Amino acid sequence: MKQKELFHIAENWFQEQNWKPFPFQKESWNAFLEGKHGLLNAPTGSGKTYALWFPIVLNYIKNNPDYKTKHKKGLKAIWITPLRALSQEIKQSAERITQDLGTQMTVGIRTGDTSAKERAKMRTNMPDLLITTPESLQLLLSSKGYEKTFKDCSAIVVDEWHELLGTKRGVQMELGLSRLKTICKELRIWGISATIGNLEQAREVLLGPTSPELENSVLVKANLNKKITVKSIIPKKMETFPWRGHLGLHLLDQVAPIINNSKTTLLFTNTRSQCEIWFQKILEKYPEFAGEMAMHHGSINKETRLWVEQAIRNESLKAVVCTSSLDLGVDFAPVETVIQIGGPKGVARFLQRAGRSGHRPGKESVIYFLPTHAIELVEASAMQKAVLNNAVEDRIPYLNSFDVLIQYLTTLAVSDGFYPDDIYPEIKQTFCYQGISDEQWQWLLNFLVMGSQSLKSYDEYKKVEVEEDGKFKVNSRAVAMRHRFQIGTIVGDSTISVRYQKGGYIGSIEEYFISKLSPGDVFTFAGRNLEFIRIKGMAAHVRNSTKRTNKVPSWMGGRLSFSAKMSELLRQELYTAELEFSEQSEEIQALNTMFSKQREESIVPQPHQFLIETFKTRDGYHHMFYPFEGRAIHEGMSSLLAYRISLLAPITCSLAFNDYGFELLSDREINIQEVLDNNLFTPEYMLSDLQKSLNSNEMARRKFRDIAVISGMVFTGYPEKGIKMKHLQSSSELLFDVFRDFEDDNLLYQQAYTETFEHQLEEGRIRLALERIAQQEIVWKQCSQPTPLSFPIITDRLREKLSNEKLADRIQRMITKLTK
Amino acid sequence: MTIELNLYHRLQMIQKIQIHKQEFVLHPLGGLFWEEKSLLLISDVHLGKVSHFRKFGAAVPRKAIHKNFLLLDKIVADFQPFQICFLGDLFHSSLNKEWELFENWVAKTPAEMLLVAGNHDIIAPEKFEKLKITIFPELIIDSFLLTHHPEEREGYFTFCGHIHPSIKLRDFGRERIKLPCFFKSDNQMILPAFGQFTGTYSLDPKDSDEVYAIVEDSVIKV
Repeated sequence: MKQKELFHIAENWFQEQNWKPFPFQKESWNAFLEGKHGLLNAPTGSGKTYALWFPIVLNYIKNNPDYKTKHKKGLKAIWITPLRALSQEIKQSAERITQDLGTQMTVGIRTGDTSAKERAKMRTNMPDLLITTPESLQLLLSSKGYEKTFKDCSAIVVDEWHELLGTKRGVQMELGLSRLKTICKELRIWGISATIGNLEQAREVLLGPTSPELENSVLVKANLNKKITVKSIIPKKMETFPWRGHLGLHLLDQVAPIINNSKTTLLFTNTRSQCEIWFQKILEKYPEFAGEMAMHHGSINKETRLWVEQAIRNESLKAVVCTSSLDLGVDFAPVETVIQIGGPKGVARFLQRAGRSGHRPGKESVIYFLPTHAIELVEASAMQKAVLNNAVEDRIPYLNSFDVLIQYLTTLAVSDGFYPDDIYPEIKQTFCYQGISDEQWQWLLNFLVMGSQSLKSYDEYKKVEVEEDGKFKVNSRAVAMRHRFQIGTIVGDSTISVRYQKGGYIGSIEEYFISKLSPGDVFTFAGRNLEFIRIKGMAAHVRNSTKRTNKVPSWMGGRLSFSAKMSELLRQELYTAELEFSEQSEEIQALNTMFSKQREESIVPQPHQFLIETFKTRDGYHHMFYPFEGRAIHEGMSSLLAYRISLLAPITCSLAFNDYGFELLSDREINIQEVLDNNLFTPEYMLSDLQKSLNSNEMARRKFRDIAVISGMVFTGYPEKGIKMKHLQSSSELLFDVFRDFEDDNLLYQQAYTETFEHQLEEGRIRLALERIAQQEIVWKQCSQPTPLSFPIITDRLREKLSNEKLADRIQRMITKLTK
Repeated sequence: MTIELNLYHRLQMIQKIQIHKQEFVLHPLGGLFWEEKSLLLISDVHLGKVSHFRKFGAAVPRKAIHKNFLLLDKIVADFQPFQICFLGDLFHSSLNKEWELFENWVAKTPAEMLLVAGNHDIIAPEKFEKLKITIFPELIIDSFLLTHHPEEREGYFTFCGHIHPSIKLRDFGRERIKLPCFFKSDNQMILPAFGQFTGTYSLDPKDSDEVYAIVEDSVIKV
């Protein structure tokens, strides 16, 4: 069949729906049918699924002209989605096409939720079109004879590629693709990405920087120019609006009319605990919303989440309080309004959320920004500018993630085994491992087989074996089983499932929270008040309770940092505080009283100024610094500065930071003049100073946690099965110490540091910030009490410490203050 | 006697305590020495744990295996005891090649050894008997009870392990720091875990409890 005829089939179908294909859709069909690879830049709700499902089906029709009567079995295409929640929606749009066009193609889903029975069925009989997650794809690579399963696969589409890029799941995806390129005879690789700063690089990472696939690829842009309106919710009474806090409940009464005035409203919160609290409080204050309001976050069980999603579509809900769990994909046409509670911390995320409303091509999107404390109004104002300029941030891809590579190689060893000489060139073609050296590769192979770099007679290490012909293979069934369980745990905090005593799964919670409860305690979860009864296996048993409580589970993932773009916009916005009142945005105007208060003893910094404030309270001596660079950067800078100060004199200080600045709190005064005279903000020797600061060890220790799990050194047990493997569990902290003491040249241990400096501290950005500060005039204000700017920082409860006093000396000092 | 005592007095900030008119020395490595009996008490060494993990495919650094033996050598050299009593969890798991290293260590160490069995001690008693190590479910010496699990018994003072106790201390500015410790209540002393690759569990002391924290190379009463 000719291309023209194929196009005709597709266009006919659009006509039947009374739609018209967008230029970007046709462009994608064309490129795909010409055998090209590519990256499609299109927002959610733009019809991107039809841009790629169509050519996949048309290609099948082309190769099987009698497609209406005969069915050629076997896998034809894979659609990767980062979120399980999206798979149903994608399946429906695929089925619509396959059925309407009269093909006999089948569509199937395979994710962590798929039953064992269904998975077994797929083993012998794959659907033509498979929708799955990066983890499940890895699992397929760990099953015997996978090469045969994939050999006729003609396309793989990676949806929401921007979400995967810059994560280890993205690396997992790169590795999976590197294998498929070899084993599939005629594979087209396509990615779909929302707008990010580094789209070109996104394509490079997807296809491989030096690959022939990249050469033969296109970048298709949807360019839909969707109109987005941002409105700030400005407190009616600014005088009583708090200077700190992250909940934003003060503005509850201003939210209710917004909900009432639109068909369906989504309220996005930044953390799951915030989500739970908002849901609870709205119902308390406005009981009339009961039955018309729901909650959606990642820890709520799947049935409830699906129900909520369905209810949004049916227009039976007035409001849904949610977290990033509703950020992606699914098409919710009835959503009219979106409210963002608290700073979204990134322009791309904010745009994505805004896009959830008016979710049909051509419709206007409305998003309200609800500040949780006064200074966030600056953020609200900055966000409007960002949306106007489409100033979205980059997603930085990982390099040399050896933990993911170890996991991948073990996966291959578990299935059919692998020959290093076959796999090495594939890996070298990926973006992540383009710089891997022969020595590092050999190190990894040694690690897999011997668990070290040399063989010792008494050692019983056992994982991957080398067979006579040089094939790397896992022969132990126990090792294979443990490995398969481990694949899904790329992001792993040990979680415990919450169940009713009589059965009935409610959701999952971090073990850390449960461990603080005693039987009889009541906590709020999934919108219910639950009484904790006991822990059994890996489940917490609960019953409903009518008691009120303020215990809400907290999840560790909640703390986000500003991107470089956002910090820049934020500074620009803050500088307008000194403009004429009439030239200011209404958000900045609303902050007028706060700024006056700030000016009483200090200043609102201007572009050429770097502000330092010092004051004393009951807690000790506070030293405040305001670079306005975002939380992550401040974390690194505070640690760096504290370390340098400690070189002048022994000191112990506690560090706190938020997106605006950081604090060094100490029991004695730091001489700021001395800090300035010694030029302690210099970018010189920055990296080595950072490494020496105690804090970097602590950060690396936290990074190591994921690395240890992913590389299979820490086994998390079988949470879903309720099987504990106590004798094999150890904390990654313990392991980190053992590596530090005995094997500090281990690549995985070193990776913890690399990740700390490149991904968490973003040393490049710290350097730029220090260079900027070097150009600024330093304004040091000695105040008698905390200033409005300092308030959100000094009340932060998550703190880091830095000390170069001898531990024993500190202990002696602390003994007098012993607590439980 | 005097010569040996001088040896450990060189140690920094050692803690000596008296219980039932007997003298005990708390060592920063986590052992406890009963002077009158020249008996060294050591709890929760968890030998074989590193090898056990490695056998199951978790590549814990192999060098960590030897650290336990080096530390055992050190504490034995400091006290030169007649007897060493392990208060349980000497071995983490079933037999593995670390047992051979243990055999060598026992052969070269000039002290009589006893084991009060703990929940992890599942290696056949015959294996221990071959090394002339006697196993007891518990041991009573004068008015002292030696067990693995904490237990208060009328008329006795208990030495035990199992818990791997630690204590949290608070610095200014809401700082916390966790240290392994000897945890003494009225009639019981819980020893810290001696083993290198073991975790800790933090305890809340009551007013009547005494806590001796291990801070680098010292034992400090808090």
